[in-house]
Order: sequence, then structure tokens, then C-alpha cells
Amino acid sequence: MVTYIIRRLIWGVFMLAIVSMITFAIFFLVPRLAGATSESLATRYVGRTATAEDVKIATERLGFNDPLIVQYGRFAKGIVAGADYDYGPGVERCPAPCFGYSFLTRLPVWPDLLNRLPVTMSLAFGAAIIWLITGVATGVVSALRRGSVFDRAAMTVALAGVSLPIFFTGIVSLVAFSYGRPLAIMAPGGSFTPFFDNPAQWAYNLILPWITLAFLYAAGYARLTRSGMLETMNEDYIRTARAKGLAERTVVFKHGLRGALTPIVTIFGLDVGLLMGGAVLTESTFSLPGIGKYAIDAIVSQDLPKVMGVTLVTAFFVVAANLIVDMLYAVVDPRVRLT
Amino acid sequence: MKRKTTLGVTALSAVLALGLAACGGGTATSPSSSGSAPASSGGGDAPKAEFNAALDKVFNPSDKKGGILKFANAGDWDSLDPADTYYGYSWNFVRLYGRSLVMFKPAPGKEGNQLIPDLAESLGVPSDGAKTWTYKLKQGVKFEDGTPITSKDVKYGVLRSLDKEVFPDGYTYFNETLDLPKDYKGPYKSKGVNTDSAIETPDDQTIVFHLKQPYSGFDYFAQLPATIPVPEAKDTGAKYREHVISSGPYKFDKNEIGKGFNLVRNDNWDPATDPNRKALPEGYEVSTNVNADDIDNRILAGDLHVDIAGTGAQPATLGRVLTDPNLKAGTDNPTLTRLWYTSINGNVKPLDNIDCRKAVEYAADKVAYQTAYGGEFSGGQIATSLMPPLIPGHKDINLYPAGPDNHGDVAKAKEHLTACGQPNGFSTNISYRAERPKEKATAEALQQSLAKVGIKLTLKPFPQADYFALYAGKPGYAKSNGIGLAVNGWGADWPDGYGFLSQMADSRVIRETGGSSNVSVRDPEVDKMFDQAAQETDIAKREAIWGQIDQKVMEDAFILPGLWAKSLLLRGKGVTNVYINDAFSMYDYLNMGVQ
Amino acid sequence: MTAPLDVSGSELEAAPEAVLDGQARAIQGRSLGQIAWTRLKRDKVALTGAGVVIFLILVAIFAPLIVGLIGHPPNEFNQDLISSETLAPKDGTGIGWDHLFGVEPLNGRDIFSRVVYGARISLLIAFLATLLSVVIGTLLGVMAGYFGGWVDSVISKTMDVFLAFPILVFAMALSGIVQQGSDSAFGLTGDTLSVTLLIFIIGFFNWPYIGRIMRGQTLSLREREFVDAARSLGARGPYIIFREMLPNLVAPILVYATLLIPTNILFEAALSFLGVGVRPPTATWGGMLSDGVRFYTIPHFMFFPGMAIFITVLAFNLFGDGLRDALDPRAR
Repeated sequence: MVTYIIRRLIWGVFMLAIVSMITFAIFFLVPRLAGATSESLATRYVGRTATAEDVKIATERLGFNDPLIVQYGRFAKGIVAGADYDYGPGVERCPAPCFGYSFLTRLPVWPDLLNRLPVTMSLAFGAAIIWLITGVATGVVSALRRGSVFDRAAMTVALAGVSLPIFFTGIVSLVAFSYGRPLAIMAPGGSFTPFFDNPAQWAYNLILPWITLAFLYAAGYARLTRSGMLETMNEDYIRTARAKGLAERTVVFKHGLRGALTPIVTIFGLDVGLLMGGAVLTESTFSLPGIGKYAIDAIVSQDLPKVMGVTLVTAFFVVAANLIVDMLYAVVDPRVRLT
Repeated sequence: MKRKTTLGVTALSAVLALGLAACGGGTATSPSSSGSAPASSGGGDAPKAEFNAALDKVFNPSDKKGGILKFANAGDWDSLDPADTYYGYSWNFVRLYGRSLVMFKPAPGKEGNQLIPDLAESLGVPSDGAKTWTYKLKQGVKFEDGTPITSKDVKYGVLRSLDKEVFPDGYTYFNETLDLPKDYKGPYKSKGVNTDSAIETPDDQTIVFHLKQPYSGFDYFAQLPATIPVPEAKDTGAKYREHVISSGPYKFDKNEIGKGFNLVRNDNWDPATDPNRKALPEGYEVSTNVNADDIDNRILAGDLHVDIAGTGAQPATLGRVLTDPNLKAGTDNPTLTRLWYTSINGNVKPLDNIDCRKAVEYAADKVAYQTAYGGEFSGGQIATSLMPPLIPGHKDINLYPAGPDNHGDVAKAKEHLTACGQPNGFSTNISYRAERPKEKATAEALQQSLAKVGIKLTLKPFPQADYFALYAGKPGYAKSNGIGLAVNGWGADWPDGYGFLSQMADSRVIRETGGSSNVSVRDPEVDKMFDQAAQETDIAKREAIWGQIDQKVMEDAFILPGLWAKSLLLRGKGVTNVYINDAFSMYDYLNMGVQ
Repeated sequence: MTAPLDVSGSELEAAPEAVLDGQARAIQGRSLGQIAWTRLKRDKVALTGAGVVIFLILVAIFAPLIVGLIGHPPNEFNQDLISSETLAPKDGTGIGWDHLFGVEPLNGRDIFSRVVYGARISLLIAFLATLLSVVIGTLLGVMAGYFGGWVDSVISKTMDVFLAFPILVFAMALSGIVQQGSDSAFGLTGDTLSVTLLIFIIGFFNWPYIGRIMRGQTLSLREREFVDAARSLGARGPYIIFREMLPNLVAPILVYATLLIPTNILFEAALSFLGVGVRPPTATWGGMLSDGVRFYTIPHFMFFPGMAIFITVLAFNLFGDGLRDALDPRAR
């Protein structure tokens, strides 16, 4: 178990390194392939009034004149060992993990990411709890009452749920429940209160995004749970359990659901992991200042260190989620043993 | 002084309002053009909400202290650092935490265009034929940490703003006009260089500016945020924006760039030194990067006081507000000193031929242009030349009448196409800023209207951040990629002809490296007229030259004027002292309070 | 398979039916495809989905014809229908016989025509991007599954890496970087260039999903008898992959391709919504939606493109689900 985890951790770090290299290549190499020069890259970070001389200084400061490999090395070194940074009147130490400084505002990226993480976490976890509970419950009931009116209705809604783009449902729900057409009972977009400031306000502000996001996922989970349950309820051990005279409730929840849960756990872990790296569309629809919104803003302004930071954080959560999911397997499914 | 008169007027109008209220309803006034004064009612204890009630008088005046004013911004500041900011709303807002030498009078309407001393005891004293300008600082002015503000802090603030590499967002007025040592790059890069040739501080209260050439309008420079004092010991360069050391009535408390910040009272601000600031609320809460529609809705719901960008309501809000008389009464519709226009690039064939350019001028559907920007209320008034009517020197020029309904004159356009040797039209590209839906709509509208005479446009969106630096504003790129038309806009830095025209019509601001707003106007005669104006000390004569420049540029057909911008502002609920200041063409943020 | 007691909709029914038809030979002779077709024919929901899909494809192909008959040119302004104060259509929506779905606020373009033309872009990109994903995914997935060893670990790890990327962010950034330079690259210009780029970006980022499934399928096929038999007869890698395995992979490929199309439609819509899709004024559903959101107080503007996306995605999902049930009765 311990060696397994260590091995996975090493692979995880390795994977992050690869992700960072590819990201770096895409953002620093592709523009050059498209014909950009060091100066023209720097031009967009010096404002409109800069003289040719200012551009030259900026090119030097941003290190665009160095070979790409050196630029990447500097980036990687910053994450591992920290970096020094010239902010004008002096030099400042940016301690590890230093994700570099915004090309535009010259402020360090890492504090920004830490700052935005609570928003994304609140959104992801809240929505995850809602969709997990509603999705699995709907799936179980649908499977047990297969062919019933409930089953059909639930599956139809579920299919509609996975077929609607979130930037559409998001706006419709905002217009309907926040902008007062017909009801103005929910917080408008862009509201976020930290949990520790005021938990009630925190939840109130997030209800709409939670439900919108959860609707999309709950639909998929209901479908998945339903088919998983249908499959496991036909397994021999369920029949054995029934034959033993166990209560139906015990059969369904202790034996049936547990078997159906394995794929759910996998997907749940990955979904939450991916969301932690920013629910880009949800955050931009509800203008929540999370990681995903940060990513969009960074891309629009071509602020490469920010893009690098966001990508790495996202990749980190996916890798971590994978690891956790694999370990959870051993808990949920007794047949799985980690070696 | 000003406040007293206002109170007198409002007391009278309150009585009138009571009488009117008894008659009931009927508040919706016709959309009179902004210069006129409807002045029927408003103010007093029970302010009567009315369309344009805050346009040229104070709406809901009050001296009540307390409360928190909530602002929101759909985008974000370029920077909160006074050395590094170039947005109108930022210049408006910066006065809450910084005091420059001179300021625009915080008063409604035209009165707001007047310059008055702020940190200085009086306006600048010119000598040496307006080449040297001297200001004396007020006594007893302190930073937020209690240290007295000296002329050296003002000088340091100006000097650091010269470093365009560290502070890329600012203006270059000081770089261009001060008599600086050769190759001076600001206090970070040129450490220890003696700069007395440009700015002298003979004592702690006196600051003397030396210019390369005489400039009679230097007080306009002295109101720029760059003259806000910065203590050298606390300067953190690019990071200073995180905590600007306040010299005004409020200081930064929490500042999370990209999300928002809040201001609290600065106890070291002494009202005795500052007759212009009321400092009513306990503090300010500002959130940035908020969805623009949410801002409108929250203002209408009373959850938010001010949309700080001051550019007006979103199109979705427009339909809601303008069709409901009650909501319409809570809006103001100021005219801006801004022109929305399209540059016609004479470097791109066949637009190098003046007749082809004139064909574009005639063929453009001006009503569609207006609609693209939001119609007659939130878009603006159809423009026929460059200078907005609010700027002194404005002349009524209409060289290319766009037909009886302003939908374009196809016959005239075809005539000029034939004269240009392109009787069947031609193809070119039109660029616009991808993030601006109004510019996209403009490009689409021009594509439609020019197609009627056979001019085919291909739309080319570019990212806003790079629009001038790398694409439309870079002469080499525009020429080799055939960007014949570029959707553009320019607002005056301050309401005078120089502040408006110099950056959009003087060909010497065009740089091969890109970045200038002037994309298309290249006429040596126009440049000569600018020089003539700079040397002209007689105000009336100088203003006449602005009109001549306007005329000449229009004759050259280098600019297709679209609109003189207007905006439909939502007046926040429960806000006191609301009025439009013409210097900013938006609500004055200095003296607002909470009811 | 469902419970033995539950006989509805399972392959057990195939036999008696064949007997009734008096074609006893068919009991042995029915191919997987025929069985699947029989099942699919009974699945009314899936058939409805298929019907809608075919309808949409026809709409996309004949868009110019349809619009020519009952619409207006998709980029044509009708500002005489628009109020210059509120920018809204003068009668609220503009819906009528002349404009079936009404007109856009601000410029008065015909929404019906734009939705119809939007189908072209949406379906074209979704189909070709799916094709690309399927080709890359199948090729690499089968290689990983078949060869195993280091080939498998390299390909599998590559898929892991791909799946760790924030795809949407990347697609946005890439199409931004490539498109903003100039509007001609790789010998293409204008819409052709944007569409091609979007196909490549979307297709390129989605292949690992197909790849993983194909790898799993190949792993199980590799151990099957017929593959062993071919191998013992001296068949080599390429032969086994293309002649023995691929035919058996057609069913899952078809199913997952059908289910990937709606994902790609949503993906393209999201990119257009975020402003990095095909350039205006070309009509796309995502682009219309993002314009529509600006005018949310005039809801018919966002309703029609939103519904177009919804119906299309739903139809593909319904059809894909039915296809999966028909081809692989175990998967539900």
C-alpha cells in the first residue's frame, strides 16, 4: 500500500512536469511558430505609450530573448526553489512555490490562485453534494421501479439535463430567479461571501450556481446509478442475499448499491477533481471569482504566467483526484486490493 | 459657496415638487438634448426622481455622514496606482484616496470643467512665457501614516510616473513636455540623476515645473493623478497598486486585485485643508470583474449604488428601463466628450484614393451605427465631424450628408466610387476589438451598408489588449494585412481641443512600433495647425484652430465619424449628492453619500 | 443482459420471431448487425432521436434552399423593425409569417435563418471533430491494447496527461492564438480556416476518451480464441488489427462516436459562446446565444438558439443510447 502510494505520487509529480512543459510549449512556442518575435511578444505587456526602448527593456525583463528551454527552466526553478523579481525600486523574493509574476500587473500569481481557490471549492463541493445525493437517489429509485412513471420521467429529465449547455441553463435560471422574471428570490451573479464570514449568506449566494451545475451532473449520475443498479441487482450474490431472507432494504443498500457505486466513485472523483481546477463556464456565467474565471481572464489578456498557474493547479487536482479515487476503490469494493 | 446656492434652489423646487406631486405622475420628460436645463424639480428632503434630474444640478443633496457606498466594476482598473492609470472613472475615483495639485471642481454640469487648486494653494503661476510653472502646497497636509506631505513627494510621484516600463498604463504628457535630462528613465532606472532641470523643489511647500516649450494649459497636466504625492520610502514600484499611500479622505483597507477592495476613513486627512471634499460615507466597498448585467440589476434592486465604469446601462437593461416611466426617472443621460468613429486607412489600397474614402463616408448608414452603440439614449448623437459639441471650438460640419434619413447616400457614394476608378466597389477588411460587442455590431452594420454600393468588408476581430499595439494601430501590420477600416473611439482626456484632437489627428503620434490611437490621419497640414495652436496664447483664436483641424480632417476623409457618445446612467437608490460632472461625463464620485 | 425472468427486449425473442417467419435458417445466420437493427427498430425513442438527427442533417445540407424559400439572408439587417430607443423589435419579438422565429434586437437579423445556418457549422464541426477523435483514439487505443508493454504504457500515460488538461481553457487559448495572427494560415482563409481549426482543436483534445475505451476493448479481444487462431496461422500485427479486431470494434466505435457528437456540439457552442469560435457575422448557435444573453430581457433571442442546441444534443443522445442498447445489450 505504501509503496503503491509512493509510486503513484512520483508518477503524479512527473505528470505535472509534463503538463507544465506542454503548456509552456503551447503558450511560448506556438506564437513564435505563428511568426511572433521576442519584441512583439513583449509589446502586448508594455501598454500603448511604450517607446521602442521600453519594449526592449521589457523583453529583457520577461526573458523573451533567452532560448525557450532556459525560459522553461526559470519557470520550473521558481516553483521548486522560488525566484527573485524586480518590481521597480528593488528586488523581491518570491518564495517557493513561485508561479511567476503576471506579465501585466507584475503581481505574483500564486497568492491570486490561493485567493480564488475557496470560491471554486465552495462551488464544486456544494454542487457535488447536491448532485451525488439527488443523482444516486434518483438512479436507485428508477432502477428499483424500472419502467414506472417515475423511472420514465426521471430518465427523461436526466437526459434533458445532460443535453443542455450550462451557459444556457445558467442564464435562464439567473433571469428567472434573480433578475425577477418572474421571481427575484436568489442572489444575482457575482455574489460570493466567504464561508467563514457568514455561512448563511455563503450558501444563499451559491444556491443558483450549485443547482445549475448539479443539474447537469445529477442527470449523468442518475443514469449511471440506474444502469449500475440494474446490473448488480441481477448478480448472483443479490439473489443469495434475498434467499437468505435479508430485508429488501438491506439487500438494496448494503449489497446492491455498494456494487453499483464503484464506477460512480471513479467518475465522482474525476469530476470533482476537474471542477476544482475551475468550472470555467459556470463561473463565467455566474461571474464567480474562482479559478475558472481567472483562467478566462488570463487567456483574454494573454497573461501567460497566470495561464500556466491555472493549468498546473487544474492538473494537480486531476492527478490528486485520480490517486484518491484509486485508494477509495479499496474501501468501496472489497475485491480491489492495491499493490 | 456653491453648495449654498444649490440648497437655496432646491428648497424652492421642493415646494414646487410638492405641488407637482399632487398633480401626480407625468414625470417622463422628452429627451431634450443634454446642454439645456429642464430644471423643473428635484432635491430637498424628498427628492423627486426624474429623467436627467442629476444632469446639471445636484440630485438629493445632503450632508449626512455615515454608511457604506457600494461600487461595482464590470472590468477592472488598469491600475489603482496614480502613476499608472488612464481610465476616466479611475481619475474620478482616485480623488478619494489621493490629492493632486489641481482638480476639476466637484460641481454639476459645466461648472465641473473648471480647474481649482487641491493640494496646491492656488492654480499654477506661470513665468518665463508659460515655460515655468510654480505651485505652493497647502500647510498641514498629511499622508495616511501622519507624515507631512512635501513638494518632494509630489515631485517623486511625477518622476516615477515617467517610467513607462514599470507603469505602462499611464499617459506621456510629462515625458513629452518636462525639460528632463537626456535619457532619463525615472527614479528606478536612473537612480541619483539630478532632475532639477525639470522639477525643482526649493522648499517643502514649493514645486516648480520647467517645460521644454511654453504651454499655456499646464494646469490641465497638474490635475493628472501623477501629481498625487507618493512617499519615496513607501514606494513599492509595480506593487504600489496593492496599497497606495493615501493623501485623501479615505485609505485602502483590504485590496484583492481582480476581485475588489475597500476604503476606510483616513484619520490623518484634515478637512480644514480641503474645502472640496465632503467625505460623507464611512467607507467604500468596490467589487471588480462583476457581470455587467448583474451590476445593472443590483443597482435597480438597490443592492448596489454605482456602476463605476460610468459607461451606462447594458442593452438588456435598456429595454426594461426606457419602457417603464418609474425606472426611467431613475436615470441620467449625459453627453460625453467622446467620439465613436471608424478610421479610414489611406495606406491601404484603394483607400489611398480620396474618392474611395469619400465613398465610404457617403455609404455608411449612420442610424445603423447609432443602433450598434445602443441607440439614441445609450449610444449617442449621430456625428458629422470629429469634435463633440461640448468641446469649446466645436463647429457644425457636415461634409458628407448621409441622405435624408441618415441611412447613407448610395448615389453620392457610387459617384465617388466611379471617380475613384472602382465603379463596382472593392474589398477590404474592417477590424474591431473582439471583446466589445458594440464594435462587433458596428462592423457588421458597416458591412451591411457598404455592401449596398459594392464595398465588401471582411470582419477582423482582434483582442482588445493588442488592438493598437500589434494590429490596427501598427502601421506595418495594417498595411500588409489590408485593414482598410478600423472601428475606433476616442474620448478627451480633458474637455478642450488639444486634449481631444491631439491623440487622434496629429500624424506625429503615429509610431511604426504601434500603439497610437491615430490609425489613419496623416496630413502634414493638420500637423502644422497643431503647432500653430500650441503657440497661440489667445484662447478664442486657439479654439478656432481646433475647428479648422476638424474641417481639414473631414475634407481628407480619414475618419468616418459615427457618434458623439451618450450614456444612460442608472442613479443608485439612496445615494445623496448625485450629479454628472462634465469633466468626467459621469457621476462625480467625490461627494456622494448614503441617505 | 437483464434478469432471466425479464424477457422483454432481449435477444431471446429473436428466435421465436424467426420461426414464425418460417425462416428457421435465420436462427443461426443472423449477424450482430441484423440483431441490432431488429432491436433498434423496436426502440421508438431511439428512432425518434434518429429521425430528428436525419432531419437536422437535411436542414444543414439544404440550409440555403430552406432560407431562400421561407427566410431572409442570415446576415441581412432589418433595422426598420427595431426601436432605436430600446433596440428591441418594435412589436416585442418580430415573430410572424415573415420572420418565423422573430428578429434579433439591435440589427433585426432573421433568427430562423440564422438558426438554420447555425446547424451547418454546428454539425459540420461536431461530425468532423468526432471523426478525428475516433481515428486517433482508435488507432492509439488499439495499438496500446494490442501491443501492450512499453507501447501501452507510453500511450496510456499520454492519455492520462491529456485528461489532466483543462480542455476548454486550452481550446480557447489555442484558437485565440492561432486566429488572431491573421486570417489566413495553412492556405485557408476566413470561415474555412476557423472551422478547420475548431475541428482540429476539438477533435484533438477528445481522442483520449475514445482511446481508453478502445484500449479496454482490444485488451479483452486480444485474449479471444479467434485472435489466437489467426496468430497461430502466422498472421502478423497489422493483419490481426485490421482484419480480425477492427470489425469487432465497429460496434463500440459507432456507439461512442454517436455519443461523442453531442459532446462536441456542446463544446463548439461553448467556444463560440466564449467568443473564440467562427468569426462573426457567420451564424453559430453558441455565438447567437452569447449575443442573446446580452439581451436577456428579449428572451426569444436566446430561446431559439438555446433550443436548437438542446434538441440536437438530445436527439443524438437518444439515438446513441438506443444504439448502445441495441448493439450491446449488457450495457445500459
